[in-house]
Amino acid sequence: MGESDYSFSLTTFSPSGKLTQIEYALNAVAAGATSLGIKASNGIVLATEKRMSSALMDETTLQKVALVTENVGMVYSGMGPDSRVLIRKARKNAQTYYQTYRESIPVSQVVRQIASVMQEYTQSGGVRPFGVSLLVAGYDYEGPHLYQVDPSGSYFAWKASAIGKNMVNAKTFLEKRYSDDIELEDAIHTSILTLKEGFEGQVTANNIELGVVGDDKVFRVLSAAEIKDYLGEVE
Amino acid sequence: MSGDGCVAIASDTRLGQQYQTIAMDVPRMFKMHDRLFLGLTGLYTDTQTLYNLFKFKLSMYKMREGREISPETFANLVSSTLYEKRFGPYFTEPIVVGLDKDNKPYLCGMDLLGALACEPDFVTLGTSTEMLLGACETFYRENMNEDQLFEVVSQTLMMATDRDCLSGWGGVVHIISKEGITTKTIKTRQD
Amino acid sequence: MESMSERSGGFSFDNVARNHVLEEKGMKMPKAAKTGTTIVGVVYKDGVVLGADTRATSETTVFEKYCEKIHYIAPNIYCCGAGTAADTEHTTAMIASKLELHRLDTGRQSRVTTCLTMLKRHLFQYQGHVSAALVLGGVDLHGPHLYTVYPHGSTDALPFVTMGSGSLAAMAVFESKYKDDMTLEEGKQIVYEAISAGIYNDMGSGGNVNLCVITKDKTEMLKGYAKENMRPWRKSTPYTFPKTEVLTSKIDKPRTDISVVVESEKMEVSAS
Repeated sequence: MGESDYSFSLTTFSPSGKLTQIEYALNAVAAGATSLGIKASNGIVLATEKRMSSALMDETTLQKVALVTENVGMVYSGMGPDSRVLIRKARKNAQTYYQTYRESIPVSQVVRQIASVMQEYTQSGGVRPFGVSLLVAGYDYEGPHLYQVDPSGSYFAWKASAIGKNMVNAKTFLEKRYSDDIELEDAIHTSILTLKEGFEGQVTANNIELGVVGDDKVFRVLSAAEIKDYLGEVE
Repeated sequence: MSGDGCVAIASDTRLGQQYQTIAMDVPRMFKMHDRLFLGLTGLYTDTQTLYNLFKFKLSMYKMREGREISPETFANLVSSTLYEKRFGPYFTEPIVVGLDKDNKPYLCGMDLLGALACEPDFVTLGTSTEMLLGACETFYRENMNEDQLFEVVSQTLMMATDRDCLSGWGGVVHIISKEGITTKTIKTRQD
Repeated sequence: MESMSERSGGFSFDNVARNHVLEEKGMKMPKAAKTGTTIVGVVYKDGVVLGADTRATSETTVFEKYCEKIHYIAPNIYCCGAGTAADTEHTTAMIASKLELHRLDTGRQSRVTTCLTMLKRHLFQYQGHVSAALVLGGVDLHGPHLYTVYPHGSTDALPFVTMGSGSLAAMAVFESKYKDDMTLEEGKQIVYEAISAGIYNDMGSGGNVNLCVITKDKTEMLKGYAKENMRPWRKSTPYTFPKTEVLTSKIDKPRTDISVVVESEKMEVSAS
């Protein structure tokens, strides 16, 4: 039997040791709009494309970069509705953590908890894996952190990473551009330039989105006006 | 009680049922890690239950986060754990003492429902809390070194337990500093 | 293993039956700390001023001399608490947490009335057993708001309010001196006088005066607005004791001989 013959059940391995549903979930991610994150020495930037299926849609109502707590934010590539479930759980977990310890949750714990939710959905009955990869960025007591979480529930810390449709090119671009001592402002410029690579059409303040956290430990989603300024700087 | 870069926690070692003394070597103060102690006064079964519970919670915390808990965070953990049992509380009044990452003393008392009372100088709880409070108010001074702190804490403990017939029968003083934990047992009256 | 698991929210009633038996057998339950307390609030021209004393008591003993009774709810909402210290502390923290989630969901500033409704629902649900008496104040898009919340869940909305054991003394000040549209200075002064009336006339209240001023654009905490009851002095020279008789002594040094080496090798290849 071929690989696809083992996709009838989420929890059945194929003879070569693959879980095809998880591979398909990754395909869903790879079909989604590109998102990327860059860790700078003094902060992190998350950036994403906002792809509209029709010019008639109002892009100002769509927000893809979401806050988990004051100092942690995340962005997804893949299925938007799936990401909302994870964001809701992440926020709730963060509040529970704060209620217990009166201390804001470290980024690693946010990620660990989201990843275990995603793992659960690869091994439970009656569910399907999440069709999203996430980039989680935050600034905590240890400094800035950038993590990528995949539908399988595996997660890694990155200096810079990209997910979604254009991720291979974007990663190559980031590899060339990245340096360990990059400053946040430079990272924001680099993130825009990376998005521009392979962008279909013209980048405007309304069809990309940026989220930034600096050493003030406040994660902020930038307004269209701020993005416009940055676009002007990289021209 | 706090000192300069050090902090002390002390208690007597008697375990009794009303006026009947059952044991005289019972520890009520527990080392949670190198810079953190938990003292649990009150019903001894709850002392033991809670010590085991927090030992468990701290092990989990350490494995999960790869770091030792800070005294303040631990105090909040104790507080939220106690408040969960708001309507069926443990009969205990905990004290959390420790040094934070800058070697600053942290001390905090709590009632049985988990209402935190964090003080810069000293906290007292248990059967002779009022008497301890009086002695502490008199003898406490700011920025004591380890030796001075030990003298003040042990004298305070002895004075107060002398006037509390439910306390006494030996005392233990732990002093936490960045060099380590000094544990001294002191001679008290045995009546 | 229920008690070993992570916090799941809600109260646990595991020990209730046991405690009942213990108390029947004559075991005395330790007394919970109360805030005793004078807490007040007043609406002035541009916002709200909240005030509180700083004494917490356990029976008649002062449990904490300088505690904080003005609790954070949201950047534009604060809440003073009287009653059982643990209840006021944890109830306000829980509501603050829920409001933060609500803000993350809606992307809008919290409204004072939302907070009020959540508080009264919680307190009513527990039929007065969560003994928190609160003064809730804040400014939102509808302007300044000031409420009192009683432990059973009833609420009042008034331009000046007092709560706690010192509420009568404080109310006397408001009744004689309150006027509409006060300036900030007048607002702070009347709250200071009201809290002072509580501190000096009610034995359950004492210590310093803490204030919190909330306006449309910012919130300002004024801790120790008046510090009239600090400890006057402490003996500057040490007392000398005869050396304490030490039976045993040991030093437990933190282990420094172990160091953790982090393997940077990847354990698993990312699926991506």
